[in-house]
Amino acid sequence: MEKHRKIIHVDMDAFYASVEQRDNPDLRGKPVVVGGIKRGVVASASYEARQFGVRSAMPSSLALRKCPNLIFVPSRFDAYRAASQQIRAVFFEYTDLVEPLSLDEAYLDVTVNKQQLKSAIFIAQKIRKEIFERTQLTASAGVSINKFIAKVASDINKPNGMKVILPHEINDFLEKLAIEKFHGIGKVTAQKMHQLGVKNGRDLKQLSEIELLTRFGKAGRFYYDIVRGIDNRSVNPNRIRKSIGVERTYNEDLVDLEEMEKKVETLAENLFKHIEKNQRSGRTLTLKIKYGNFETATRSRTVPADLLTYDAIFSLAKALLYENMEENLRVRLLGLTISNLKEEREEASNHQLKIPFPSATNTSSLKKS
Amino acid sequence: MKFSVSSSDLLKQLQIVSGAIGSNPVLPILEDFLFTIEGNQLNIAATDLETSITTAVEVQSSGNTSIAIPAKILMDTLKALPQQPITFSINEDNFAIKITSAYGQYKLAGENGSDFPQIPTADDVHTIVVPAPVLAQAINKTLFATSNDELRPAMTGVYFQVANNTLTCVATDAHKLVRFAYDDIADTPDATFIVPKKALNLLKGALPPGDEVTISYNRSNAFFTFGDVNMVCRLIDARYPDYNAVIPADNPNTMTVNRSDFQSSMKRIAIYANKTTNQVILKITENSLTVSAQDLDFSNEATEQLMCTYEGDPLTIGFNAKFLIEMLNVLETDEVKMELSTATRAGILLPSENNESEEILMLVMPVMLSN
Repeated sequence: MEKHRKIIHVDMDAFYASVEQRDNPDLRGKPVVVGGIKRGVVASASYEARQFGVRSAMPSSLALRKCPNLIFVPSRFDAYRAASQQIRAVFFEYTDLVEPLSLDEAYLDVTVNKQQLKSAIFIAQKIRKEIFERTQLTASAGVSINKFIAKVASDINKPNGMKVILPHEINDFLEKLAIEKFHGIGKVTAQKMHQLGVKNGRDLKQLSEIELLTRFGKAGRFYYDIVRGIDNRSVNPNRIRKSIGVERTYNEDLVDLEEMEKKVETLAENLFKHIEKNQRSGRTLTLKIKYGNFETATRSRTVPADLLTYDAIFSLAKALLYENMEENLRVRLLGLTISNLKEEREEASNHQLKIPFPSATNTSSLKKS
Repeated sequence: MKFSVSSSDLLKQLQIVSGAIGSNPVLPILEDFLFTIEGNQLNIAATDLETSITTAVEVQSSGNTSIAIPAKILMDTLKALPQQPITFSINEDNFAIKITSAYGQYKLAGENGSDFPQIPTADDVHTIVVPAPVLAQAINKTLFATSNDELRPAMTGVYFQVANNTLTCVATDAHKLVRFAYDDIADTPDATFIVPKKALNLLKGALPPGDEVTISYNRSNAFFTFGDVNMVCRLIDARYPDYNAVIPADNPNTMTVNRSDFQSSMKRIAIYANKTTNQVILKITENSLTVSAQDLDFSNEATEQLMCTYEGDPLTIGFNAKFLIEMLNVLETDEVKMELSTATRAGILLPSENNESEEILMLVMPVMLSN
């Protein structure tokens, strides 16, 4: 019999908002969001706020319309990071195969674990209990045989719940799963799927691999596999950052191209600072534009050599702006992201071992001997 | 003044010298040959300020002069002419040049020879003499292993080391390393210098089949002289890594295998290897070598089995096939020896025997096996 992996996806419930409610009793039981009230977006919404239809990533103005009594709290990332540390410490008591996706979410591979526990379900329960005892925060978990199913599962009994999908249940579970719930299928793809008459996993299975590849490109293969319960991605504890980006929402919509260029200049400066600080470099620059009507467009270009200087970044960013900006549009947000990072490209070749030459200081001493 | 010369003799020399001309000269005059006529000898020079080549050809001359002549137009003219005597008439006031062939006249504008950069002269040098074929071997066997990494300039050249009547040439790109030694040079003070890749590539093309090459060197330049040809190059001013410290002396596992069988197998198997790592896996047991590769992204895989002689513990080790193919390419013996330790330690590749007075050793780092 084939041996299955045991993967847990742990996802904190309304993480930032819950930290705020924990630290300030006045906020408990009330609709709270973390984020700026003026022109910001909701970074995290408490479950009380969610009852009004407030969601994370929603513009603050819209959130306020949905819930006029909404309490806005500015973010305190130090507090979230501290809680995140405590949570990760719990994970590492069970396994080193922990792949954090963000401060509040991680995959764990507990097939082999430090406590020699056979049941991943039992481990997931213990982890959730430990997290609550140490942080007074609740977590939800999904348990299954691969990352994709574990992730989908963790959402099912949220908040403060867990869902186990056993190998023999996978087929049925995926066939019934609404297409929007497939992790990795966003709004746009879901819409395309609907146009193809695909509403759930069963419909998706009817599409051939070729058909999916022609319609969705590389992602098509991923869709083809996951709906069949196939996801061989391993839990990667050393996942490296794939991009570095900066973005800014403006107090007033931008309407003037020259003004936008100035903003892009500032973004390029900030991006360059990040790149320098992190000692990274990449070849693809992406300009993100969010218009006054909240529609978002991204335009990117890849150059043959790493973008190493501020000038290189700014001139490319400017080109992207002028080539893609349509007349008379109001712009609410601009962002610049650099990706196709050198480290990522080199990752594959890293397995080639290097000759362990002694460092320069050793060289001189060896020469004398 | 005027001089006459055989078109083909001149072209032959120009072809050697023209190698020094850079593809993107910083000064217009660097696109020229410097012609210096002294008595009945025409000295020709070209330079990119890093590497310079000079040579000489016999001419019939009416006087002495020095002039810079545009290289491309002159070479193109000579290439298009059948062999014949041609005459150069040089106006020493305005540096106009007129070439007369059996078919007609060609005029071009030269420049004042005194504006041409000085070619470094061999001052305060030490000198060794090496047979031209030995130097050709030394270059051919090391050059491919140099690095293109401008951040580590030392590795972009070949390291020359003179000591104990031996000339040792070393090249490495931090993944592979080649050491070639020739132990029959005259007693000379110890010295080390790094010769840039470009100079050695030019030298490779210009070395005569027989004859000897005089190599002179001081702190800043190396001079390679044979016949009338003299090549000067600026040395790479950097510290060479301590290569001796990384060559394992006692790798316990030794495999002997037919070189061309091994290389052919590697070429076939490499087709199935992952394109970024080029990883092939050698699985060596007593008298049998299994070469395999797979590319998980495309579900490609291949395996072959070869006969070998092996003394040591069974071993599985991964290498970049491209490196092994290049290395096997410069070895000439029917059989080669690999001395191995573990899957993460340097492997040594050796010919089964060396030419007299020569010794070659190659080192290659493995590619880590997954899992």
